[in-house]
Amino acid sequence: MTATDHSAPVPVRTVPSTVESTVDGTGRRRFSWRRPAATSLTRLAWSLAVLAVVLVMLAPVLGFLLVAISPRAFGQGDAWFTLAPLASALSGSTLQALLNTAITGVCAAVIATAIGTALALLFGRTQVPLAGFWRLALWALLLAPSYLEALGWTRLAERDGVLAALSGTDITWLRHLVMGPAGVVWVLASRGVPFAFLAVSGVVRGLGRDYEDAARVHGAGRWSRLRITIGMLAPGLWSALAIVFAEAISDYGVGATLAAGANFPIATYALAGAVTNFPADYPGAAAIGWLLMVLVLFALLAQRMATRGRSYAVLSGRSRPCRPVPLRGGRRVLALGALCVFFLLALGVPAFGTVSASLLGNFGSADASSFTLQAYQQVFERSDLLGPVLLSLRLALITATIAVAAGALIARVLARGARARRGGAASLLDLLMLGAVALPAIVLGAGYIFTYNLPAVTALGIQLYGTLTLLVIGLLAGALPQASRLLMGSFAQVQDSLPAAARVHGAGAARAWGTTILPLLSGSLLWAWLLTFADRLLELPLASMLYPPGQEPLAVAVTTLIAGYDFAGGTAVLVVACLGILAVIGAALVLFRLLAPAGWRRWEQR
Amino acid sequence: MNGSSGVAVKVSGVVKRFGTHTALDTVSLTAEAGEFLVLLGPSGSGKSTLLRVLAGIERADEGRVMLGDTLVAEGNLHVPPEKRGLGMVFQDYALWPHLTVADNVAYPLRRKRSGGDVAEKAGGALEKVGLSGYGKRYPGELSGGEQQRVALARALVGRPSLLLFDEPLSNLDADLRERLRVEISTLARESGATVVYITHDQSEAFALADMIGVLERGRLVQFDRPETVYLSPADPFVARFTGLAADLPGVVVRLDGEFAVLDGCGRRVRARSMGGLAAGDAARLLVRPAATRIVRGGDEPAEPGDGVVDGVVDGVVPGTIVDVAYRGRGYDHVVTISDGVLTGVFDERAWPRGSAVRVVLDPQGCIATGDVTNLM
Repeated sequence: MTATDHSAPVPVRTVPSTVESTVDGTGRRRFSWRRPAATSLTRLAWSLAVLAVVLVMLAPVLGFLLVAISPRAFGQGDAWFTLAPLASALSGSTLQALLNTAITGVCAAVIATAIGTALALLFGRTQVPLAGFWRLALWALLLAPSYLEALGWTRLAERDGVLAALSGTDITWLRHLVMGPAGVVWVLASRGVPFAFLAVSGVVRGLGRDYEDAARVHGAGRWSRLRITIGMLAPGLWSALAIVFAEAISDYGVGATLAAGANFPIATYALAGAVTNFPADYPGAAAIGWLLMVLVLFALLAQRMATRGRSYAVLSGRSRPCRPVPLRGGRRVLALGALCVFFLLALGVPAFGTVSASLLGNFGSADASSFTLQAYQQVFERSDLLGPVLLSLRLALITATIAVAAGALIARVLARGARARRGGAASLLDLLMLGAVALPAIVLGAGYIFTYNLPAVTALGIQLYGTLTLLVIGLLAGALPQASRLLMGSFAQVQDSLPAAARVHGAGAARAWGTTILPLLSGSLLWAWLLTFADRLLELPLASMLYPPGQEPLAVAVTTLIAGYDFAGGTAVLVVACLGILAVIGAALVLFRLLAPAGWRRWEQR
Repeated sequence: MNGSSGVAVKVSGVVKRFGTHTALDTVSLTAEAGEFLVLLGPSGSGKSTLLRVLAGIERADEGRVMLGDTLVAEGNLHVPPEKRGLGMVFQDYALWPHLTVADNVAYPLRRKRSGGDVAEKAGGALEKVGLSGYGKRYPGELSGGEQQRVALARALVGRPSLLLFDEPLSNLDADLRERLRVEISTLARESGATVVYITHDQSEAFALADMIGVLERGRLVQFDRPETVYLSPADPFVARFTGLAADLPGVVVRLDGEFAVLDGCGRRVRARSMGGLAAGDAARLLVRPAATRIVRGGDEPAEPGDGVVDGVVDGVVPGTIVDVAYRGRGYDHVVTISDGVLTGVFDERAWPRGSAVRVVLDPQGCIATGDVTNLM
C-alpha cells in the first residue's frame, strides 16, 4: 500500500448533525405523546365518555334481559328470582316460534353459504361476463331490507296479488310455497348470500392459485382439488355460516310480513308481540331475547371451535395471485344461467312484485291495462306518505354520520389493539362490539322501551321514552357495531408507520392523520357511510318499537299501509325511498370522483 | 411414469402468449434423464411460464413437450399435471394450511395410491429433510426454512421422474439459502429424477446446474454447460446477466485469433471476441469480476515485460479506489477509471480509499462485443 491518501472522494457516512437532532427530537416527542404522564387525564375523560355512551346504549338491554329472571326487581311481578318466564318461553307457541327460528336459520345459513361460496369462487377464479353488473346486484341485495323482499314475494303470490290480477287465476302451489317455511327460508337465505359472499371471497382472494396447482402437480384430480380448496376455505365458510345464521334468526322484517301472513310464527315476531300487546309481557319477551342470544352465541362458539387450534397463517411472501380464467362454451352458459336464476329469485321477482303492486292500484280485479302512476302522485301529495320518507331520510343522515365517525374511532382503537396484541380496553371493546353484533335489533328495541319506560328511570329525570332522540340512540346503537366492523379491516391495513412518518417529517397529529390516514381510507369511509345510510333509512325493527306517536318512520309507514290494504301506496313509498337511496349513492360516488384528489381514489375500496 | 429414475425432457418450438404479450417465443431445449437443468433469467423473461408449461399448469399455444417417450403437449393434446408424474416446489411453497405437515407430505402418495404404508413413507421423507417429529404440526407453525423443507419432502416423496423448482430459495435469507441449496442439490440428485430449476440468481444457477438455459424476454438465448455460459456468453445480455465487473466502450484495433484488441481512453485490452468485429469498429469491453487484479500504484512506471506498445501497457488500467467492502476471504474494491467504474475487484488485502492503483485484466475473462450505440 504505497498510496495512503485517506481523503475519501465519496462522502458516504457524513450525516449533517441537524438532521440527526430533528430525527431524535420528533422521536422523543412521539413517545412522550404515548406516555401516560401528560395524557392520563385525557384518557380518563375519554374512558368516562365511552362508559357513558355504553351505559346509555347497552345498559337498557341488560335491564330488560334481567327482567326475565327477576321480574320483581323491575316491578313486573312477585318473584325476585324465577325461571318461569324461561320455562314458558320453552313451551307452547313460543317454543314453536323458537324452533321455527332455529330451523329456518340453519337452512338459510347452509343455503346462503353454498350460494355465497359458489359466487365467491366464480368471481374470484373466473372471468364472469357482466361481472360489474352482478357485483352491483349483490350490493343491492345487501342493502335491500328483508321486509322489502318478503313484501315483493307476498304481493306477487297472494290470493289478490299481482300474478292473480295479471293472469286472472290463483296460482295456488306458488302461494303455498311462498307463504310458508320455504318462502321464509328463501328470503332469509338470499338476504344472507351477500354476507356469505363477502366472508368467503376474502379467503378466496388470499388463497392465490399455487395451492391448487400444487395439488394438481402432485396428482390430484378435479374432486381432490375441490376438496383441498374447500378445506382451505373453512375459516370463511364457518364465519359465513355463523354470520348468516345470526342475521337470519335476528331478522324481524320477514317475521313481521311474510311469516306473519303465513301463520308461521318466528321468535323475533313473538318477542315484539309480547312487548307491544296489552298488557305487555316483559319477562316473557326478555326470555325469548335470552334464547335468541343463546342461539347466536352457539353459532359464534361453533365457528370459534371449528377454526381454533389450526393456524391458517402461511407464508404470505410472493404468492402468485389468481389469474381469473375465461369461461367458454357450456360453462359460460351454465354460470350465466345460474346467476340469472339466483338474482331473478332474490332481487328480480321481489322488485317486480313491489313495483308492479305500486302501479296496479288497490283493486284486486285490476288487469294489465289498469297500470297507473296514481300512487306515486299521491306520495308527493299526501303528507302521511311523504312525511315518513323525509323523517327517515333525516334519521338516516344523522345516524350514519355519527355512526361512521364513532365507528372510525372504535375501529382505530381495535386495529391498534390487535396489532399490539394488548389486552385491556381494546379487547373489552372488541367483546362489546361482538356482543352488540350478536344482539338482535328487536331485543335492543325492546330493552329501550322497557328501561326508559320504568318509573325509576323517569323519576331520575331521564325523559327519553317516546321521543325521536331515543329512536336516534337506538338506530345508532344498532349501526355502530356494523360501522366499526366495516372500517376495521381498512384500519388494520394502515401501517402505524404512515402517520408516524408524517409526524417525523414535521406534521402535527391532526395534519398527520388528515394527510396520511384520511386519504387512504376516504373510499372506505364513504362506502361505510353509504351502507349505514341506506341500512338505517330502511330499518324496521327499531323503528317499529321506538317511533314516537304520529311520527312514523318509513318502514313503519310501509308496513302499516300494507296491513291496511293500501298496497299501492305502501309499495310506492318504498319504491320512492329506494330510488332516493340510489340517487344519494350515485351522487356521493360522482362527487367523490369529481372532488377527491386523484391520489385518494387510487385506494378506493369496494 | 412412476419410476424412480428421471425422464428426458424435450421441448420443441414452444410458444405461449398471454393476450398480446408473448411470454415464450419458440423455445426449444433438451435435458437428458437425471440431468439438473437451471433456467436463468430476470423477472418477466418467461422462465416461470416455461416451468409451468412443463408442469402442465399452463397450456402451450404452439410447439410440443415430450417427457421421456410420452408426448404430453402438442396441438390440442394436453396431458394434465396430475398425470405427468411430477414433484414440484413452489416459490411460496404452497403448503396447504389446513393439513398437517404429515398430511401435506403424504398427499402425493394418497393420490397415486402407490400402496405400502403411506405414513411410514411420509415420515421417511420428512426424516430425509431433517424434520422427523414435525408431522403433527401445521405449516403456519413452521419457520420459512422449515416450510421449504416440507415442500421439498412433498415433492420428493412420490419418487417423481421430473422435479420442478420455482425459485424455491427467493423467500429465504442468505444463510439459509446457501444451506438449503446444498440440500436441494444432494437430495434431488440422489432421487435420480430429472430436475428443472428456475432462478434469477446467477450464482445459484452456476452452483447447481449441469446445464443452464438463459432466457430473455421469452427467448432462450443460450443453453449450455455453466462453464461455457460464463466463459463464452452467447450475447451481451447473457454476459451482463451472469455478472460483470465493468462494461466499457472501446475501438477494435486488430483481431488476433479468437481475441480482439480494444483501445479506449488510454488503455489497450485483449478480450475474447463474440464475433462480428472488424478493425476500426466501435465495441464494448465486458469484464468478468474474476478477470481483475489490483497490482500497484499508478504513479510508478510500468515494469519491463508488461508489453508496452506505443507507450500504453497491455491489459493494465490505471484507476483510483473509491470503495472497499470486506468480504471475509478478502476485499471487494470499486475502482474508478478514466471513463467508467470497475466493481467487485477482489484482493486479499484492503486498498485504502483514494489510492491510485492499476488493475490488470485477464484476457480470458474479458469479452469484446459489437457496440450497437454510437461510441461516445
